[in-house]
This record gives sequence, structure tokens and C-alpha cells, in this order.
Amino acid sequence: MVTLEQLLREKFGYDSFRKGQREIIEDILRGYDVLAMLPTGGGKSLCYQLPAYVLKGSVLIISPLVSLMEDQVQQLRQRGEKRVIAFNSFLETEVKRKAIERLHEFRFIYVSPEMLQSERLLHALMNIRISLFVVDEAHCISQWGYDFRPDFLKLGEIRKHLGSPTCLALTATAPPEVTDDIVHILQLQPLRRHIHSVDRPNIAIKVEKTEFIHEKINKLFDYVKMLQGPGLVYFSSRQWAETTARQLQREGIERVAYYHGGMDSEQRMLVQQQFLRGQLDIVCCTSAFGMGVNKENIRFVIHFHMPGQMEAYLQEIGRAGRDGKRSIAILLYTNGDEDMVQSLMETELPTDAQVKRLCESLLLYGAAPDSLEQQMSACSLTDVQKRILMYFLETEGIASSPRPLTEQEVAALYEKLIEKIESRRRWKRKKLLEMVKWIFHHSCRRELIVRAFQQSLEKKPDLCCDRCGFPLDGYLRVETEKKEFHFHGWQAELKRIFF
Amino acid sequence: MKSGYASFLMLFCLHRFNGERSLSAIYHLFSGKKSSQTLQDSKWFQLERFFGTWKEATLNDIEALAEQLLENGLISPVQNRSYVLTEEGRRQFNEQMRQAFFPVHLNGWRYHASEKWFWYRLSLLVQTLSNVLHRTRFEPIHRHEETFIWVKQYLLSQRKMARELAQTLYEEIYDILSSVSEEEATVFTLRLTSFERIGWTNEQIASLLQKDPVYVHFQFQNVLHYMMATAEAKQPSVLYELMHDLSLPIPLTFSTRKTYEWLLRGKSIEEIAKLRRLKRSTIEDHVVEIAANIPQFSIWPFVSEKKAEKIMETVRKLRTRKLKVIRDAIADDVSYFEIRLVLAKEGKMW
Ligand SMILES: Nc1ncnc2c1ncn2[C@@H]1O[C@H](COP(=O)(O)OP(=O)(O)OP(=O)(O)O)[C@@H](O)[C@H]1O
Ligand SMILES: [Mg+2]
Ligand SMILES: [Zn+2]
Repeated sequence: MVTLEQLLREKFGYDSFRKGQREIIEDILRGYDVLAMLPTGGGKSLCYQLPAYVLKGSVLIISPLVSLMEDQVQQLRQRGEKRVIAFNSFLETEVKRKAIERLHEFRFIYVSPEMLQSERLLHALMNIRISLFVVDEAHCISQWGYDFRPDFLKLGEIRKHLGSPTCLALTATAPPEVTDDIVHILQLQPLRRHIHSVDRPNIAIKVEKTEFIHEKINKLFDYVKMLQGPGLVYFSSRQWAETTARQLQREGIERVAYYHGGMDSEQRMLVQQQFLRGQLDIVCCTSAFGMGVNKENIRFVIHFHMPGQMEAYLQEIGRAGRDGKRSIAILLYTNGDEDMVQSLMETELPTDAQVKRLCESLLLYGAAPDSLEQQMSACSLTDVQKRILMYFLETEGIASSPRPLTEQEVAALYEKLIEKIESRRRWKRKKLLEMVKWIFHHSCRRELIVRAFQQSLEKKPDLCCDRCGFPLDGYLRVETEKKEFHFHGWQAELKRIFF
Repeated sequence: MKSGYASFLMLFCLHRFNGERSLSAIYHLFSGKKSSQTLQDSKWFQLERFFGTWKEATLNDIEALAEQLLENGLISPVQNRSYVLTEEGRRQFNEQMRQAFFPVHLNGWRYHASEKWFWYRLSLLVQTLSNVLHRTRFEPIHRHEETFIWVKQYLLSQRKMARELAQTLYEEIYDILSSVSEEEATVFTLRLTSFERIGWTNEQIASLLQKDPVYVHFQFQNVLHYMMATAEAKQPSVLYELMHDLSLPIPLTFSTRKTYEWLLRGKSIEEIAKLRRLKRSTIEDHVVEIAANIPQFSIWPFVSEKKAEKIMETVRKLRTRKLKVIRDAIADDVSYFEIRLVLAKEGKMW
């Protein structure tokens, strides 16, 4: 029999397991349901990719982001794995149709949660042997989790439909109330928990405060010029990411681009690839560039705007130092930043007026599933707003009842919705407040981070945080020779492409 | 100037619309919305080339552009969200028309639905060949399963060697780029991904050429459509093989197509309305859309030649497309439907 180490070497080309991987894999192979919390970049993907070569049947992976899924598929293919497929849009093409017919041939089946509403796909899945049911970024399942996705809530039911195959839930950022939700919703049992420290010891942490915004901008320019790249700079809005990228270019920093959800997918892909290939040093981005992005040598992550909560912060700085080498995370703070974050957060929640309009519309048209979507659009709700309202309607048992609603019912519903939105608002404020407290915290920042996840720090690294004190020297740019691109006219370039 | 080219395009559209359509019509035109109204509009006002050629533009962008033109005194409002060019606007517009780049090959009407897939295939094929010839590993530049599989199968079905195929493709691209401007050829080449260079974004190319990204976008589209048109005319070629199975449909909305099928089977408007449980006016909309898009479709079952003659006369005299004005001017009993039908069929502006 081959040992796990042999498989690791043979299929993945690694010499040894990273912390936690072996134990997680062994428990899966023993048939336990596993909840695994490993830090960002800790190697969670391997925890289901390796068992796929031991278990009989297909591994089903549910992943929240299309781009993330595509990256994973690409990485597997790169390793020579051919038996991998991803379902992430309702567009039924010839290719997908055929794939569904021979679904059992695939070793890895990636699916977005909304695709699991497709009867055909679900049916096909029921007819094959699923050896492992993986929920990646499992914190999305909990309404108290970072980036809550109501679609994930149905996963418990779906798993049952598939005959309750062994389940692996993966996350990097889940405080206890969220892990409890995950266990409960997925009905993990018999369960083994593998909870590791959220800490990333190779990332030094620094917070810097300025009084005025222009000081902050200058600070950013200084750091970007001074620090060893490649690096990411996070902004809270698309507008900011774009303008700053352009400003940086004007400052003479050439290899900068921006990335956000408002760009068309090809341009986004180009920027991501350029960054991965080292054609770019710096990407100014929004949170759209994040979860799952796996470039091993990112040396710094700067937050120009603070995120709304600790989990988001941890996810975003977690892009740095995935090769295990020394990296740095700097958060720039200007007085009043939290107000902007707060107002951005508010816009993610439906307003009273919108809820009112929706309720009036429901009274008129009822809440049949297909019309509900339309009615929501008519109330000019954004996707994020729709998502949360849909969830509330579902928990109230309204979402799929085709019968008309009475006036009293609608009135009661309105009250309920307002109340729920209000409680969500309070929760978001609490999370933001936690973040602000962290910024103004007087002792070790790393300790406070792990405490937010109700863990304690086992060992403090030498290069810890600005409170513990550390020198910047090791993070400064050492002039390395860059592959400069010289453009000698299109004829020469076209020739170069082919010959 | 950041929004230079977009402003020029706005002026162009507003000039053609002549105050008779609102800003959202421009938005729908660029985004390629398949509604009867948009399809007809682009014909009537001769803006077909722009149909669906700037899908990233948002209504907000369009409104902001109009706001800016308004501030600069180049346009003035006529009614709810419609504008006409001012004296100064006209002057600047004419000047730009003489000097600025105009996408003469752009044919959104024909290629809006297929251009993206053609480009995906072409650029992935180029990337693949480039890497194969240089013996380098690579990640496909598009995460689009269908394209990926298509290119793979295309390569497998080739009897030619990779080097030979590359040579042919190189020559075809070279020929086409040689017959467009230096700048356009540069834009197109830089968008391609090779073994050593990931393709550049419009923004990056813009900063190299010191132009704005919208300008670059339209230069690129212009070359792409020229390439597709050339490929259609010159078969066989590798470029044509990349597009031959992409459908180039008549742009009819789904619902209209259904109505068209019934009409072909000899049903009347009244009957179709009953059959489809739609309002008569909806079916009339469909008929107008069909008239605007299918050259061989005859409008005579729906309007008499005498009336049509009269309508056209009035249109020419008053130089307007406003239905109400036309109807008021014709004393006789003509319906809006009849007027729209004639206008749709005539297509051309005046
Ligand atoms: N045992 C190992 N030895 C060496 N490298 C490994 C090992 N396991 C995983 N890696 C590498 O570590 C990197 C991060 O892995 P992965 O993407 O699975 O992280 P993750 O835990 O999912 O992080 P995130 O929470 O950010 O998604 C990958 O490049 C992967 O190939
Ligand atoms: Mg991951
Ligand atoms: Zn510390």
C-alpha cells in the first residue's frame, strides 16, 4: 500500500505535510466528518485533493466564488489532473450536458451553491458515488460569518439528499459561534474538529495613524516606493482603487494596476495573470481580490481603508507570505475612517422605504418564487440587499408560498423584516467597533487578533507588531533587476509572439 | 482627457438621435439590449454599428458624460432626458469628425453576439501556439470552458504541424494589421498574450499611447470586426475557421421571433394576439421590429401604399421622426402603428 507521504510526493510534489494536514486527512479516511480551521495559505485544498486519490468515487466541492473555483480547477489541471469539472453558471452548453451524463468519471466536481438548485445536476449527483462532500470557505454558511451566503444554508439538506457522504468543512476565519453554526447546519457527525491557530507568524503587523487624508496618501506612496514587492493595496471602493493606481503611475511607479468587481472579466483576468506572472508589482484592489487568491510571494499587504471586521482583515492580509517567508501587513488609518466604512455597510442593508415597497408589492402579487426575484428588482435592491432579504423571507417561511398574503400578514412581515435588519445593523456595528478597538489597542495586536477567535497565542514571533516593536529594514526593497519590457513596434512584437 | 473619446461618441449619438430619444436609449444601444425599441432605434437613426459594442458602459457613465457635455455647453436639454447639440457642440463635433478616429469597420449589428467568442478563441489559440513553439508551460488566459475545449479540439483536428499553423495564422493577422492604422495594429498586438507576456489591458495600452481607455477599446473593436468581416469574405482561412460555427443571428427578440413564425404561417395580428394571449399592441411592436430587421418582409398587408407614400412625404417635409408630429400633420386617419411600420421599413434617416 502507498503511504500518504508517497502520494503527497507523487501527486503533488511536496516533501512533507504542513501542520494539521496529515491528521485531517487521516480522519477523513477513517470516515469522520471534519471541521478544519487552518490559517490562510495553510494548505486547506490539499486536505480534500489528496484523499481524492485514495477514496473510491468523486469528491464534490462547494465553493462560494466562481473565480476561486476556476483557479482551483486550473491548478489541478496544471498538475496533470484531467478528471475535473466545474459547474458555475446556468448556461447549459453542450460541454456541460455531456459532462452531466458521465459525471461519475470525474474525480473532482466543483459546484457553486446556486448550481445545486439545478434539478438535473442534483439528480445526476444523486446517481453517482460521492466519496467526500467538501464545503470550502465554510464560514459563508453562517449569518454571523464573514461574507454570509444564504445559498449555503441549503447545503445540509442537499448533503442528506446525496446520502450523507463524509463531509469536510474548511475555513480560515471562523470564531466559535460560526463554527457552531457550521456544525449544526451541515449536521457534522461523528465529528472531529481540527482547529488551528488563525495566526500567521510570518506576517508582521503594523498600524499607522494619520490625522488627515493627504498625509495618508503620502504615507501610502512612501511605503509603496520603499517596500519590497509584490504587494497588494486594499481600498473600500472601486473609485479609490482606480484613482490611486493612476496616481501611483504618475508618481513613477510603473507596474501598478487596479482590480475590482466592476471590470469586465477579461480585463480582470489579465490583471490577475500579470500579477501572478510578475509582470505587475502592485495591485490596487477592493475586497473582490481576495479569498483564495494564491500567489506565493506577495511581500506586503497595505490597507488604505480598514475592513469592516476582523475576519475580513485576516482574509485580506492572508494573501501575503504564502511561501512562508517574511512579509508585512500595514493598515493606514485616518481619523473618521470608520464612519465611511459604516456608511458603506449601511448601504448593504435594505432601507425602510425599500422594505415597505417590497411588502406592498408582495400584497399585490404574492410571493411565488419566480415573481419574487422580479419584485425585488423592481424595488431597486442591489444583489447584496436581495440576498439578505431573501434569507429573511425564507426564515419567515414566505419565500416560496404561492398563495396571496393577507394585509395583516404583510403588516406583520414588515415589522419583522425591519426588526431583523435592525439587528443585523447592530451586529455589523459591533464587528466594526471591534476592529476600531483593535486599531487603538495598546498592547500586542497579534494577541488581540487571536483572542477575537477565542484562541490564545502560543508563541510570539520576533517580528510581531508595531506595539511589540520591530524594525522595517527587513521589508525594504532590495533593488533587483527587473525584466523590462521593450516595445519595438507591432511588427516585431507580433513576430516575437510566434517565432 | 479621461473621457475624451466617450464624449465624442456621445455627441455622435445625440446628434443622430436629434433630441428624439433619451439617454437610456444610448445606454441600451451600447449595451446591446435586445428590445424592439433599441433594435429599431439603431436602424432608424443609423447607429447599427454601435449596437452592443460597449457593454461595460453603465447608465451612470452615460449620464455623467451627458452632465459633462451639458456643463461645457455642448448640448442642451430639450425634454425629459433628451438633448440636442448646441451651436458650439455642433462646431466641436464637426471638427472632431474631421480629425478623430472613427471606427469605420465597426459592425455591432452583425457581430455583437459573436465577437467575444471569436476573440476568446483567437487569443487562446495564439497563446497556445506561442507557448507550444517556445516550449513553455502556461495557464489559459480565459477561464472559459467552452473556448478551452474548442481550441483543444481545433488543434487536435489539425493536420498541420504547430509551426505551420502558426505561420499561416501569423500571416493572416499580419495582413489584416497591415491594412489598419499603426495605432490600431499596436493596440491589437498588445492585447494578445504570448509565451512571455500576458496581454495588456485597455488601460495599460492607453497609458502607453497616451490616449484614453475608451478610445483604445473602440480601436480594438474596430480591428476585431474588420478581422471578422475579412474572414467572412476570404475563405478558407484560419480566422474563418475560428468563427464559422458562431451564429450570426438576425437580431430579433425572442418573443418577436415567435410572432414572426406565426406570421409566416399566415396568421393575422388579431389571431396571433389571441393565440399568444398578448395585447394587440405588443404584437404590433413585434411586426414593427420584424419590418425593421428582415429586408424581405413586406409591410403591404398592414398598410396601404397610398398611406405609406403620404407618411414618407410628411417625414421628408418635416424632417422628424416624432410620431405625434407626423400624425398631426397628416389629416387623414393613419395609426401610429402604420407610421412606425413605414419608418421601420424605410430605415434610412430621411
Ligand atoms: N504540504 C505542502 N507542502 C508545500 N506546499 C503546500 C503544501 N500544502 C499546500 N501547499 C501550498 O500552499 C499554498 C496554499 O494552499 P491553499 O490554497 O490550499 O491554502 P488555503 O488554506 O486554502 O488558503 P486560503 O484560506 O487563503 O484559501 C498552495 O500554493 C499549495 O500548493
Ligand atoms: Mg482556500
Ligand atoms: Zn505583538
